[in-house]
Amino acid sequence: MTFALRTLAFRLLQAAGVALVVGVMSFLMMRAMPGDMAFRIAAARYGYDLASADLAEAVRTELNLDAGPLVLFGQWMADLARLDLGRSMVSGLPVWEEIAHQLGASLQLAAVALGLSLLIGPPLGIYAGLRAGGRFDRALLVAAAALRAVPQFLLGLVLIVVLAVQLRLLPAAGHGDISHLVLPALTLALGLAAASARIARDAMAAFAASPAHAFACTKGLSDGQVLLHHGLRAIAAPLLTYLGLQFVLLAEGVVVVETIFGWPGIGHALIHAVFHRDVPMVQGTALVMGLSFVLLNTLIDLAVRRIDPREVRA
Amino acid sequence: MTLLQAKDITVRTGAERLLDPVSLTLPAGRAVTVLGESGSGKSLLAQAILGTLPRGLVADGELRVGETKLDPARPQGSRALWGRQIAVLPQEPWLALDPLMTGHYQLAEVFDLVAADPRPGRRAKADLAELGLEGAGGKYPWQLSGGMAQRLAFAAARAGGARITVADEPTKGLDSDRRDDVLALLRRGLEGGGLLTITHDLTLAAGLGGEILVMQGGTVVERGPAERVLTAPEHPYTRALIAADPAHWPRPDPMPETAPLLRAEGFTVARDGRSLFAPLDFTLSPGQILAVAGPSGCGKSSLGNALLGLLPHQGRLWRDPALPKLAFQKLWQDPPAAFPARITLAEGLDDLLARHRIDRVRVAPLLDRLKLSPDLLARRPGAVSGGELQRIALLRALLLDPAVLFADEPTSRLDPVTQALTIRLMVEIGRESGMAMVIVSHDHALLEAISDRVIRLTPI
Amino acid sequence: MTTRHLGFGLLGALVALALIGPLIEPLGPFKQTLLRALAGPDALAWFGYDHLGRSMFARLSQALRLSLTIAFAATATAAALGIFLGALASWRGGWLDRGLSLLADSVLALPALLMVLMMGVILPSTPLAFWAGLAAVQWIEFFRLTRSVARSQLASPAVEAARLQGFGPVWVFRRILWPEIGPMLRTATAFGVANAIAAIAALGFVSVGMRAPTPELGLMMVELLPSWREAPFALLQPVAACFALLLSLNLIAGGRE
Repeated sequence: MTFALRTLAFRLLQAAGVALVVGVMSFLMMRAMPGDMAFRIAAARYGYDLASADLAEAVRTELNLDAGPLVLFGQWMADLARLDLGRSMVSGLPVWEEIAHQLGASLQLAAVALGLSLLIGPPLGIYAGLRAGGRFDRALLVAAAALRAVPQFLLGLVLIVVLAVQLRLLPAAGHGDISHLVLPALTLALGLAAASARIARDAMAAFAASPAHAFACTKGLSDGQVLLHHGLRAIAAPLLTYLGLQFVLLAEGVVVVETIFGWPGIGHALIHAVFHRDVPMVQGTALVMGLSFVLLNTLIDLAVRRIDPREVRA
Repeated sequence: MTLLQAKDITVRTGAERLLDPVSLTLPAGRAVTVLGESGSGKSLLAQAILGTLPRGLVADGELRVGETKLDPARPQGSRALWGRQIAVLPQEPWLALDPLMTGHYQLAEVFDLVAADPRPGRRAKADLAELGLEGAGGKYPWQLSGGMAQRLAFAAARAGGARITVADEPTKGLDSDRRDDVLALLRRGLEGGGLLTITHDLTLAAGLGGEILVMQGGTVVERGPAERVLTAPEHPYTRALIAADPAHWPRPDPMPETAPLLRAEGFTVARDGRSLFAPLDFTLSPGQILAVAGPSGCGKSSLGNALLGLLPHQGRLWRDPALPKLAFQKLWQDPPAAFPARITLAEGLDDLLARHRIDRVRVAPLLDRLKLSPDLLARRPGAVSGGELQRIALLRALLLDPAVLFADEPTSRLDPVTQALTIRLMVEIGRESGMAMVIVSHDHALLEAISDRVIRLTPI
Repeated sequence: MTTRHLGFGLLGALVALALIGPLIEPLGPFKQTLLRALAGPDALAWFGYDHLGRSMFARLSQALRLSLTIAFAATATAAALGIFLGALASWRGGWLDRGLSLLADSVLALPALLMVLMMGVILPSTPLAFWAGLAAVQWIEFFRLTRSVARSQLASPAVEAARLQGFGPVWVFRRILWPEIGPMLRTATAFGVANAIAAIAALGFVSVGMRAPTPELGLMMVELLPSWREAPFALLQPVAACFALLLSLNLIAGGRE
């Protein structure tokens, strides 16, 4: 119980930290933009079409915009604290509404990519880790290093050229049926698989060299039984923890891959918003990405604790 | 009845022979014990018989377990015997048990998967109760005491129905209080079965009886019935091994009380606001040796660190104000950890000489006195044996002319003969130079053999 | 050991190309010879021409120079900041340590690309935005590394021994901490530079990084992509350069550490 409370307290602080960093950056973005601040806020509130000089003037008096940066910053952060993200400066729709639409598409893509990477990575890693130093292990190491040297956008490019343009197996871009999902998901999954294979391999090799592995064998269990009853348990916790940290990589990949493949998710929206200097949308997407990381890692903390209840000493 | 017969077992790596031919027979109900220090080849012998040699090492010879003939050169064949015919008691069981699984399941899975028992859960429960482990079933290994983990590992190793037990260093890392428990456990394994024990522990070997093989440098130098080997050893090495047992050490002359270096009254150490042990009164005079004993975790090390001023203390502590700060020095349990890992010993020593303007000519006689070769200093701490490194740590301390030396388990990671040498040098130098020592150890016989006074800590 | 040397060799060759290339080639990255668009190598343009008839060699060496400069500057800034704050946090402890750790954990939740994009809106120049955004994320790795090594080492018997023997904090840092941290820093630096280069190229590729006509690896790829059938080698050049750069840095970082 105390562990769960401590985890929650830490993750809540982290979430507040994320919101603070995103809020400060967004405020600076707002101030760095050319033109009249009052007009931009009016546009953010009511949409570009409705914003006029009168509305801007009303905003200026209401928000006390001549009050100086500190007061304005306080107001900005107060809005954020109430989770009031305003409206998109491009579409005029509330930011939450926009994000709610896109988040589903991104989650779908991320989940398929993650599932695919778990099917590829850990089994290879486990096999290599059981024979650490062997031929397969070394080959996997080289393959993973080469894959790491290919950035995700380049991997996507190669897959498009080979599978979509040359072989015409799959559509290159779009959103709709399952075939559209394959290429972007595969692009994301390959990078993640390389990473999870390495973690699984290291954890498995560490377990295979441990006295716990030796004892499980001399108790009389077969290799398969040792792996099933003890090995998987031993690699689950480090793998989960690592996946939690890799979420940033996944989010980064989502941004790039969605843009390349025209997948209408949150990463696509972010690039779009940056392109149009739509600060409320940038703030919204950044906040959602950061808070998703915190939420996911909270769940992973609790799951890892169930698998490995040893007290982690600070 | 013969349970296991090994004939001319050897171990090679490439062209180099690490183990000369050894033959042994395990009869039912009579223990066979292999005695030796690390590097003597005793563990290689056990691994060759079990088929657990590390990669790159090749065994040869003839092996028969019950009716089955095995080829030690092809260790895969032994796998089928593990758990079913041969129970392997692991070294340091608290590391060998799966840290992520509760005790009950670690035992029950053997009944289920190895012995194919129809009611594995019930059998596991019964076994746990028999060994006094009723409460341990729902706990994880790291929640168990060392002794409980040992009993759980013993039960799990034997649950497959094996009649032969092989125990490799079963007392390694255990307090001497626990030794009797291990002895009782191994005797259970002996009832109607065979027992092969690998150890450096003379007391354990004496307690088990049966046959003893003494090994040195990959060769059996002496073998015979336990009573004969331990009381009338023939080979010089066996004699040295027995002389290294603290119980056989010559007692140093007692050191009289003189003007004390430090005096403690109502002295204790607190952690998280709680005192670790009941308040103590003691004094320490030049040349005296004060021994500190007590169960693990009761604050023995904290006491010594507080005397050095490394930890805050409670109660009164008077230290002779004429003594400089450098007069309080320390030896650590794990010698490699006490040196900067990535510079050579000479570099560290040069820094020390320069820092305190110590004359370099003092080093050579000290090296000689501590039986250390000067060549060792060119190495990094990781490339020097534990016994040598601990003596270099002593040398490093002696250069600072310490008045009080706190030795925290200084020899618990050393072999018996090395331990005897190290302790003898420490005691002699202390008596010669008037350096007082505070020694912490879990080995009561050692403390009794060298100290002027033993303090037993009682936890509160 | 040999793969590491290979990495240094490859990186050295690319750095040489980036440093010397622009000095010795005659055309410059912006001069257009439209008649030679997508043509192969000749005496002036040693690697051929792009779709606007600009020298590929000139553009490639300039692009490498840009990526390497930004990446090294960002990682060096991040390393200096992270090591300083990490040492400070483990030395002083208390609220300072907790505050810095919380800040690190908060920034850790934000992808580096996001940070760069936000900096791009705030700061007036794109290279400056890359530098600031990448450094703002990368300092965390150096901070955490330094902090964890320092914390475990400061609690070790070796440091206790040093104190009892009268050595000060400078000696402890020079003889115990630095030799432990040093090798890890090489790995972290190599990965940091590699991530920075990948980030610059990725944002260029999705058109929110460097702007045309600046020669930049990702931007060059997206510009040459439409004509990949006519001039596959032109497209292959920035792709190969990017891959070689990242591969060399990964080899330097070492397989597993």
